[in-house]
Amino acid sequence: MRINYRIDHPLQLQADFEVEDFTVLLGQSGEGKTTLLRAIAGLLPAQGEPFSGLPPQHRAIGYLPQGYALFPHLRAWENVAFALPRGPQRRAQALELLARVRLVHVADHYPTALSGGQQQRVALARALARKPQLLLLDEPTSALDAGTRDEVMAELIFDMHEFGLPTLAVSHDPYLAALADRVAAMSGRRIVQQGTPAEVLSRPASVAVARLLGHRNLFTARVVGHESSTGVTLLQWEAANGTTLRVPQQPELAAGQLVQWMIAPTAVRLPSFKPERHRSDNPVTGRVETRLNLGAHCQVALRCGTERLWLAAPSNLVRHHGLEPGREITVDLRSNGLLCWPHLG
Amino acid sequence: MAALVDIQAADGLPRARTPALIGTFTLLLIAGPFIGLAVATHWNDFHFAPGDTGSIGVSLGYSLIALVLIIVLGTPLAWWLARQSFHGKWALEAIILLALLTPPLAMGILLTTLFGPYGPVGSLVAHAGVELTNSAPAFVLAQFYGALPYYVVAARAAFEGVPRELEHIALTLGKSPWQTFWLVSMPLARLGLAAGIALAWVRALGEFGIVLILAYYPQGIPVKLWVNLQDIGLPAVYPLLWVFFLVAIPLPLILGLASHRQRLF
Repeated sequence: MRINYRIDHPLQLQADFEVEDFTVLLGQSGEGKTTLLRAIAGLLPAQGEPFSGLPPQHRAIGYLPQGYALFPHLRAWENVAFALPRGPQRRAQALELLARVRLVHVADHYPTALSGGQQQRVALARALARKPQLLLLDEPTSALDAGTRDEVMAELIFDMHEFGLPTLAVSHDPYLAALADRVAAMSGRRIVQQGTPAEVLSRPASVAVARLLGHRNLFTARVVGHESSTGVTLLQWEAANGTTLRVPQQPELAAGQLVQWMIAPTAVRLPSFKPERHRSDNPVTGRVETRLNLGAHCQVALRCGTERLWLAAPSNLVRHHGLEPGREITVDLRSNGLLCWPHLG
Repeated sequence: MAALVDIQAADGLPRARTPALIGTFTLLLIAGPFIGLAVATHWNDFHFAPGDTGSIGVSLGYSLIALVLIIVLGTPLAWWLARQSFHGKWALEAIILLALLTPPLAMGILLTTLFGPYGPVGSLVAHAGVELTNSAPAFVLAQFYGALPYYVVAARAAFEGVPRELEHIALTLGKSPWQTFWLVSMPLARLGLAAGIALAWVRALGEFGIVLILAYYPQGIPVKLWVNLQDIGLPAVYPLLWVFFLVAIPLPLILGLASHRQRLF
């Protein structure tokens, strides 16, 4: 489903993107994500497709705002039954919908007696009762605590796929983007990139998108020149003792120009067990500052000049190299993992 | 109760004695006149003055009619003020404030000027055979004016307390604005609305100043109290006053209990 909306008030916003399966629209706070959802739901004036010009009660959407907005004076099943026509089947239909989100056992509870995750699923069942063509979720992870977030979101996304409903979730949480079937990134109140999470995560179109996706290794360097024979552009990373970096050639960059560049922590390589097999692209030397043990993987922060470079590697490799705080090591930044963009302001 | 005290002690909070002491004193101040009434009433010789029973019927019957009118006409106004914003809204708010501010006696005079036999509205409806002074409609009118502003203020606050988001969600669930009002706004505002109705009832039933000017007849309890005091004396006031409490208290009490029993959120 294609969403194409233009809003003039209360803020100016233009959004044109595809929603398929579970789509996440990433954007910082203040980008107008909630405003966009409310416009699609018909709750504030806007031009666009689908549902152009219809009043909210005639739009086939299910809207789950932040905090879910369950009716506090109605029991869980009555909340779900809210959109159902009056009749003898009403309770049975509501219970059926509650069963689909595995919550029949709390049917007679009031919303205040439900956990955040349960409230979210009741709100989902209530929205489904309306038989929507599109589900809109506003910051679905915001009201969940870290401990249950993974579980609740996994269930929610499973449900979405089960019901086969196109879903648009807006969020500032890069974690959610990783779970999506499709990601769109919003910056400057317009869509700046969209695609699969793998595409967008590995190739952010701008520094702004890289930041949205939670990339940490974002640095500044200066263009030295181009080596056409080898197809590389040379950068000087002044903050890290003037280290030279080689990136795939980008002819549009002029010598002397400032650029911003990034590298995924997984593309920062520790020396191989068999060094003779690999030629280093960009050797960078740093001192270990911090080591985070995350089970099978480790994240290590290296101090390079005045910057901090993060690398992610299997724990056994990190142990093999004895990466304790204070230890100095030379790592390799793979050229094809380096992305750079002209420095803006 | 013991558990409550234990929790306070566990919190390390000092047992607050000052508010309790001042509170007891204030309550005694409020209760004083009623204790006096209980003492002063001649319980051995408890009887009504002529016309007392009639005034009870007048007060109860017409107050109920006034209350219905207040709810029917006041609720939409309260909702409008709570939910719509527009230029010049302050002027509407000022009108309601004006109605609240005007001393009852002055309001009675203003209403007589408007609805009296020589007033613009009064002379008009007189052609249709309706008198708006010293008549049943006049009595209801006086109570309506006395209590309406209080109800509108309370009901407006009640509607403002309903989260707009819930009304919006009801719309996205396919309900019309009218259905949303009945299914979401009204139930969620019911505590405040009940308080507003109770307040309007008490105001209407106890209205004296406006009624005195606009509708000396038929005599309701407040005016009859005044008449008894003038014609017979203090002892003739007390029995009717006891009846007044008896008929006035049930509605606010029931409304209060009913809304508290359902306090779920």
